[in-house]
Amino acid sequence: MTPGDFFFQQLLNGLTIGSIYALIALGYTMVYGIIQLINFAHGEIFMVGAYLGLAAILLIGKVHPGLNPTAGLLLTLLAAAVGGGFLGLVIERVAYRPLRQGPKLSVLITAIGVSFFLQNAVMLVFGAQDRYVPPLLQVHRWQIGSVTVTLMQVIILAVSIGLMAGLQRIVYRTGLGRAMRATAQDPLAARLMGISVDRVIAATFCIGSALAGVGGVLFGLTYSTINFHDGYLIGLKAFTAAVLGGIGNIPGAMLGGLLLGFLEAFGAAYLSTQWKNVVAFTVLVLVLLLRPRGLLGERVAERA
Amino acid sequence: MRIRAGVLFLAGAAAASLLAGCGKGTPAAQIGFVGPLTGDQAATGLDMLHGAQLALEQARAAGEILPGYRVELVALDDSHSPAQAVSAAKRLTSNTDVIAVVGHLNSSCTKPASAVYSEARMLHVNPVSSNPEISRQGFDNFFRVCPTDDLQGPAGARFALTRLKAKRIFVIDDVTTYGRGLANEFIRSAQVQGAEIVGHEGITQGEKDFIPLLTKVKVLGPDLIYFAGMYPEAALLIKQRFELQIPAKFLGGDGLFEPTLINLAGPQAADSEVYITTLGGDIRGLPTARDFVRDFEAKYGHLGAYSSYAYEATRLVLEAVRRAGKKDRAAVLNAMKQMKSYSGILGIHTFDSRGDTTIRTIGIYTIKDGKFQFVEAVGG
Repeated sequence: MTPGDFFFQQLLNGLTIGSIYALIALGYTMVYGIIQLINFAHGEIFMVGAYLGLAAILLIGKVHPGLNPTAGLLLTLLAAAVGGGFLGLVIERVAYRPLRQGPKLSVLITAIGVSFFLQNAVMLVFGAQDRYVPPLLQVHRWQIGSVTVTLMQVIILAVSIGLMAGLQRIVYRTGLGRAMRATAQDPLAARLMGISVDRVIAATFCIGSALAGVGGVLFGLTYSTINFHDGYLIGLKAFTAAVLGGIGNIPGAMLGGLLLGFLEAFGAAYLSTQWKNVVAFTVLVLVLLLRPRGLLGERVAERA
Repeated sequence: MRIRAGVLFLAGAAAASLLAGCGKGTPAAQIGFVGPLTGDQAATGLDMLHGAQLALEQARAAGEILPGYRVELVALDDSHSPAQAVSAAKRLTSNTDVIAVVGHLNSSCTKPASAVYSEARMLHVNPVSSNPEISRQGFDNFFRVCPTDDLQGPAGARFALTRLKAKRIFVIDDVTTYGRGLANEFIRSAQVQGAEIVGHEGITQGEKDFIPLLTKVKVLGPDLIYFAGMYPEAALLIKQRFELQIPAKFLGGDGLFEPTLINLAGPQAADSEVYITTLGGDIRGLPTARDFVRDFEAKYGHLGAYSSYAYEATRLVLEAVRRAGKKDRAAVLNAMKQMKSYSGILGIHTFDSRGDTTIRTIGIYTIKDGKFQFVEAVGG
């Protein structure tokens, strides 16, 4: 493998994990953008999504063993998206909405509590052992020079790009999106304009959580083992990605996720794996020193 | 006010005795068990707890352990965190009912906790923390029933060089007390024997994406990858190595010796020249362990890699308690020190001046058809 091929292979490695970070970072950023809450339970929604994906795969295997793999994949993704979205709705309704008028800190602490609750609930239901996620699709590889591209990488990229494009469309081209942007700018004024702010906030949680659920399935299928603990580390990284891009900023979350993926891959490739987190977080600190609102700036800046 | 407190106290005492399940009013003498019962290594911790519970249950069934007392197990959780391990150790040592402890899975937890037990002059028997530094701290209350990594590392290196014919080795560890310690022992010995270490890198526990690292390994082209760490990360390394079509063989330490590894890596990837060194020989091949394996599997089904060590350590503690004959930490510790040798399921232990067992067998396994297959035992 030539140094050039090595570079491209690592670029592709970074792009794969970076897309997953980006999908999850979107949930952090959307929720922050609209109610300035750092939803610490978001990583756990991702983890629950991974388990929902596993449950769907096992169920499909039982009920309809001969199902076409593509249909199986779509069903699994759908199950995790619907399940994740529903979970987001429930959490928002039960844990956050009653505290909306209270101090910001109460909601933050509640979010941490929800995160512990979900972790331990999944541990009790699915057990503490790592679980194996059976592959839905055969392993496929393409060689371009000595760079290897796998089918899973292509799927991750396609699904992530598709969902991000869809999200962009919802936010900038639909009534719901307009309502979301209005609520983010000024919830009181939005309410005066006849927007049901509560429903818009619920929809935001639902969409962000659905994306995390899809991210969970992609993660489970790629690495084939999942654990109730997985939400913590990935959640932390996705949160970092959101801050890196500018929290509250949707294109920023995508950029931050990809950038974090690249930093990790190149940190591992050219320095050493134990330094990859140091590299990634040093860059975060530098970015925040030079651009305190993140690379693309916080959406809050728009608020008067 | 005083009467009220008295009533409360009586009610509390009654509730406590009910909870302990002994209406007869026999006072309790407790043995601590600490391991990761929640968190990322909860499964392994539970397997160990089952071993300890079985040991106590069998000892109770065999007759009275301590005259006038009901011997109980108090299980505490260290969640694989050194800080929590120390706080669990303090909880045990501050409870006067606790007379000895079987403790901790991870070397990173055992090491700081051992200082707490030492200060409290409480017998501390460790099942599986194989880092050699722990017993070099000079605590006379510390005993350990497994061989250590200064045996396991060199045994692995010898096997790598002579049987696997490895010349260029890439070493990966999980940067824990156990992983880094074992990796360094392996490297030292492999270099002395003439192998070239083409790289040595650490990974973070709980991470899943080792593809960038393995892409680098592939370019370096070693003939063996050595991993010192635990099975969840090992399973991913084995699987991702297989998917990246890296031809290097794979050798790992006892942290990999857990049937779940094969399941997590997938049968195909696991069956690709993967070798494992273990503390002690083949448990299923030991005639002394036959009854244990049967009883354990009958009760709990799945025999974990470390269940037998927790069982052995608990039995050793119970034997010391029985010999001491009274509920007294100093007497129990003394009885343990007086014990010349102990014949357990793993063999006949005698303990050196550091408290390490003289059973020094390292087993070597490979994976075939989705199962661990015993290759050979070295040392002894």
